[in-house]
Amino acid sequence: MSERKTVIIDLEENEKSRLGELSELESAEGSGVLGVKNVSAQTRIWNVRVNLGDSKAGTTIRDATLPVGEIDAGAKWTTSYGVDIEAPILTITETYDTCSSVPAESPHWAYVYGKDNPVKITLNLKNETDGQIDSIILNKTIPAELTKVRVESVKSGTAKFDEGTHQVVWKDFVIYPKEESVLVLSATGHVDDGSEKNAGEVVISYKAETQQRSSLDPDMTALTEFLSGIETAETEPNHWECTLECSNETDLMVRLDKAVVYLTPERGGEKQKMVDVAPRIEMKPKQSWSSVFEVDSKSPPKCTPDVVYTPMRVVKKRVLGTISKVPQTLPVYRIDYTKTFDPPEVNSLDKTPVEVTIEITNSGSARLDRIEVEDSLPDDVMPPKKEHITVLVAGKEFTGDYSVTVTPDDQNPEKPHKIKFKLTGLRDSVGELKPGDSVKINYAIMAWRNRPEKEYPSPIHVWANTHPAGLSSEIVSAPFAHKLGVVYRKRRTAAKKAINKGSKAGEYVIVLTVENKGEVTVENVKVVDWVPTGFTYVSTEPREDEPKRNPAKDGTDLVWTWARMNPSDKKSLRIVVKGEGEYQRREPEVTSD
Amino acid sequence: MTNGSGQLLNITYFGRTSFGLESKDTSVLLNPGIWDGKPVVPDDRDVRIIVATNHFDDAVGNAAAISSKSKGWILGNEQTIEKAKSQGGKPWLLHVLKPEETYQIPGLKIVPYSLQRADPKSGEKSQNLGLYIEMGGMKVSYLGDTVVRGPFGQIEADVMIVPVGDGEVFAVKDAVSLCIDAKPRIGIPVRWTTQEQSSRFRKYLEQFASGTIPMIMEPKQVLEIQWAAGNEFRYKLS
Repeated sequence: MSERKTVIIDLEENEKSRLGELSELESAEGSGVLGVKNVSAQTRIWNVRVNLGDSKAGTTIRDATLPVGEIDAGAKWTTSYGVDIEAPILTITETYDTCSSVPAESPHWAYVYGKDNPVKITLNLKNETDGQIDSIILNKTIPAELTKVRVESVKSGTAKFDEGTHQVVWKDFVIYPKEESVLVLSATGHVDDGSEKNAGEVVISYKAETQQRSSLDPDMTALTEFLSGIETAETEPNHWECTLECSNETDLMVRLDKAVVYLTPERGGEKQKMVDVAPRIEMKPKQSWSSVFEVDSKSPPKCTPDVVYTPMRVVKKRVLGTISKVPQTLPVYRIDYTKTFDPPEVNSLDKTPVEVTIEITNSGSARLDRIEVEDSLPDDVMPPKKEHITVLVAGKEFTGDYSVTVTPDDQNPEKPHKIKFKLTGLRDSVGELKPGDSVKINYAIMAWRNRPEKEYPSPIHVWANTHPAGLSSEIVSAPFAHKLGVVYRKRRTAAKKAINKGSKAGEYVIVLTVENKGEVTVENVKVVDWVPTGFTYVSTEPREDEPKRNPAKDGTDLVWTWARMNPSDKKSLRIVVKGEGEYQRREPEVTSD
Repeated sequence: MTNGSGQLLNITYFGRTSFGLESKDTSVLLNPGIWDGKPVVPDDRDVRIIVATNHFDDAVGNAAAISSKSKGWILGNEQTIEKAKSQGGKPWLLHVLKPEETYQIPGLKIVPYSLQRADPKSGEKSQNLGLYIEMGGMKVSYLGDTVVRGPFGQIEADVMIVPVGDGEVFAVKDAVSLCIDAKPRIGIPVRWTTQEQSSRFRKYLEQFASGTIPMIMEPKQVLEIQWAAGNEFRYKLS
């Protein structure tokens, strides 16, 4: 048996907190259990009172004194109460960064669809008190979309990822007053749809011995088996030696606070105080205490003792806490696009304006801050001028800053071009592009004499990102996608020739008609008609169609070149030649692009 | 005319395909058509030369009535002149234009080219004369109602007046394509029936016809063009 058993006043207080998605405190509740435990193996205590004085403020306890009554040996009395708290003694901050590979001023908050997201989870715990916090166990649920989960670093304790429960458990550490501890996890996130995900719950439990959340300062009084009495012994005639004797009959420590003895005079009158001491002695079990005084009296003196004592007590207190953090919602950024030509196909070898519409739709669940598009235009297409490009964001014409780069920066239809659009800072201009909204880019190109045997793919590459920017969401068409259709229109040119005698001797009038009988415009039409040796060219009507005259082996070639002939266009020429001999006929040659 | 105030031409738009050209030397009325039974140009329009590019009412219109009052000449192909004659045109004021044969009087040169338009009812092709006009020091290509461009893609012009529509005349793309090839300083669409047609003409010209200003004219508007100081092209739309 211990020599110093004391009654225990037990103050166990609990705090239960809930944090929001971004670790903001949503609620904190406090409660407590006040208990008195009689640790004696054999002795009851009774008339037990717990005195709280003014310390009950901030709790749901109404009375300053709690009448407990009797507590058997080994038994315990308890009462519960509530405590007002503003915040837990341990704070936790979870930082969930979906893209640790791209530095940013704030954590990335969305997954990119279809890519490996380099996730970094940082859990920071801080002891806000002047006492130590221990028995800390933190459970972090790891979302199903995360793989390759690793504990990158842990400042104290041990942290392990359990594949079975898909949880990280961090434990076996204490946090000293005002200090912090940090756990860093890494993982790879991969999402295959655009719906919102959750980042997994965090639950933490902890204990802070010797600490309390309330201001309760409990004390206790009680009675127990404590003997007291007065022994009177005549040492001389009519002279008495009186002894006040006290004895702790329990196995508890008892404190004797006050001892007073009153003597009733033989002849009557007021009682005399013979002993008045406050020994405040801590009496071990079976320990006695006495006080002696002498009295002159013919008869045995009548003495009345008044002893104040109480079983000794110790106050034990602790705080038990739990914090649960709501899983952070992680949206996904994803884009889709359409690209159309209007008209979808053009006549071959013609010049046709074609409206190009590219629509990028936010098909994920995250808000987008930037969109970039690279559109590739094939050759035989004249690109647009920048000022004629229209951009609509969520159905409204976008007048904010965006850049358009055309490479090469010209309108030469003989070269392929790349047009790059950059819409950045949507967050600060029109607000981010919400899920379901789209960016529509419209511009016109000029299909430029496209050849029917050739293909005109116009692939596209689109990027999208959030703020802060992480990995880009990308969508790329096939290299030969988005072909501008070319409808084959047959070329058909007809050349007719008549050789007529002129009005003068040796003069011939050659009538030449060239007609585009095809369905399509022809360009660079070249007509060559032969004039035999011995004849010389005189004139042509109309005059503006005067031919070039190239020497040939056996005469002269008359050459006309016309830049363009539309369907049904017809050229009629009257050529006058002069010479001697028979004017031999050869058919004119017509070529064109 | 190569200098001074002679290098100035006023182009008045009456609506549809009707234009009046005025220089200090002469005046020309182009296609004073009748549309929906109403003449676009009043009968009392004072003019020296009236040219109809084809014989349909939307081109000849009230040319005979205007000619009777103003004593102006009516020019057109044979069918057109026959039509004017049947409408009371004075024979001595009628002149047949032949394709690629130049008509010239002081202050005016017109070269007609044979183009084609579609018959509004049957859809059959018939002749329409495209006009190359030199007047007031300016070169104007006026294609009338046509679905073919003829030589106009290669003819240098300061102003090109080109029909826009579907079926009977050029589609927008063909009108734009012609302006790209001909590179006039000003391109004016006519005969368009929807705002979309004219705005697309303007948009595509602005983008793809470098050096050509698209000009959408409203009826009664006057476009004044001139060679300032002899070599600086200026224009002003009322």
